[in-house]
Amino acid sequence: MTVEKRPAFEPPAVLVAPVTPPPDMHRPVSTVFGALLVVLRVIAGVVWLLSLALQWDRVLRDDLNIEIDPGSSEAEAAQVVLVFILGFGGLILAVDLVLAVLVYRGNNAARLAVMIVATLSITIAAIDYFGGGEDITIRTTLITLSLDILVLLALSSRAARAYARRPRPNGRGRHSGPKGR
Amino acid sequence: MDRAGAEASGAETEPTRRRRFSINALLDGFFFVYAGIASLWLAWLVFTESFTFGWWGIAFFVAFWLVLAYLVLPRLHRILTTIYVPDYFIGRARTSDGLLGDPVNLALDGEEAQLHAALAAAGWTRADDVTLASSWRIVTSTVTRRSYDEAPVSPLFLFGRQQDFAYQQEVEGNPARRHHVRFWRTPDGWLLPGGRRVDWLAAGTFDRAVGFSLFTLQVTHKIDADIDVERDHIVSTVLAANPDAHVVILRDFSTGYHSRNGGGDTIRTDGDLPILDLRAVKADVAADAVEVDA
Repeated sequence: MTVEKRPAFEPPAVLVAPVTPPPDMHRPVSTVFGALLVVLRVIAGVVWLLSLALQWDRVLRDDLNIEIDPGSSEAEAAQVVLVFILGFGGLILAVDLVLAVLVYRGNNAARLAVMIVATLSITIAAIDYFGGGEDITIRTTLITLSLDILVLLALSSRAARAYARRPRPNGRGRHSGPKGR
Repeated sequence: MDRAGAEASGAETEPTRRRRFSINALLDGFFFVYAGIASLWLAWLVFTESFTFGWWGIAFFVAFWLVLAYLVLPRLHRILTTIYVPDYFIGRARTSDGLLGDPVNLALDGEEAQLHAALAAAGWTRADDVTLASSWRIVTSTVTRRSYDEAPVSPLFLFGRQQDFAYQQEVEGNPARRHHVRFWRTPDGWLLPGGRRVDWLAAGTFDRAVGFSLFTLQVTHKIDADIDVERDHIVSTVLAANPDAHVVILRDFSTGYHSRNGGGDTIRTDGDLPILDLRAVKADVAADAVEVDA
């Protein structure tokens, strides 16, 4: 056994060194939780779109102050706008769902994308809350906001980071996730 | 050992992956801190909401505590301790949140197999690793007061690594009360302050009850303040069961002190560091003992 003098402190470079998780790392709870929360956000989005579609006439009249005579060409245009909103929203939700699956499988780009979106959404809500005086209550946006914050917390954790960065045997090919689990 | 294995397997992946780490690491750092701040806001929102919902407010208050104890405070501690807690050896292990944990109060010489042999002979049980199943079992066994000999111990960190393994002795079949000791292999060539070479460092404490942590408000084990009693218990049981083991005591290795561990429990010690020499212990005894156990 060699006994050599070694500095009594650990070099600070260790802190910024890239994480080297073992390739057979198990999927951490935070990754599963993060993916699950993205799915919950998709469900919340579907509910929001459905309620918008059901109350479309009332939304137009009360919230946007647009008076429409039933049966006129304006009514048809309103329906087209509604379909457009639903289609666009559905597309975004579908992308969200794909991202949730990718996050679950430990894809780092998907993890970063989800975190960027969550950060933007939180920032906008914060500006509204602290600047515009908009109340955040359970009836309006507390649920979506807390989902965003929890997603960000879960996916930025060290375990989720290490899992998304774990070395893959086949590079970054289709196969991911260690042995099925 | 582990590190060598990780590097060997890391070498098989393409080297280009390593190069882009700086931007990624920066992004990760930003999200880590931003999420910590956002979670603080979330805790505040949940807290204020709890007053507007009558009896349902109690549920909101529980949610507030869960968010605060298990999401906000760990993240904030993690960020702040990275800044102010030194990362070199100061005789204290650190919790997964980076807080100062149990004091290192025992050192050992010998191979891993010899440690397992000596501890098994002395009536210690190796702790399970922390998994979802074992965590759930420790909760249920604590609530129902059923015995759980191999209950996992929480991870503590030394040299930036989780303990290599841990041993414990349950007291009176009650999982809330137990002797336990965690072991870390020292890095090759690493010397104790003062220049002595040891193969292993260990931190032994006695869990006396389950309660709330002072710093994170989480439910955790509370440890007995007089950690020297536990240290001497470990040494005396190992010496009694292993005639080939010897002990050398480094007097006043750390200045005697009063302090708090990561759960906010007071600890006091006289600062002596016993070094158990197990190099003469026969390791093959261990294989038998472990097999009998399993």
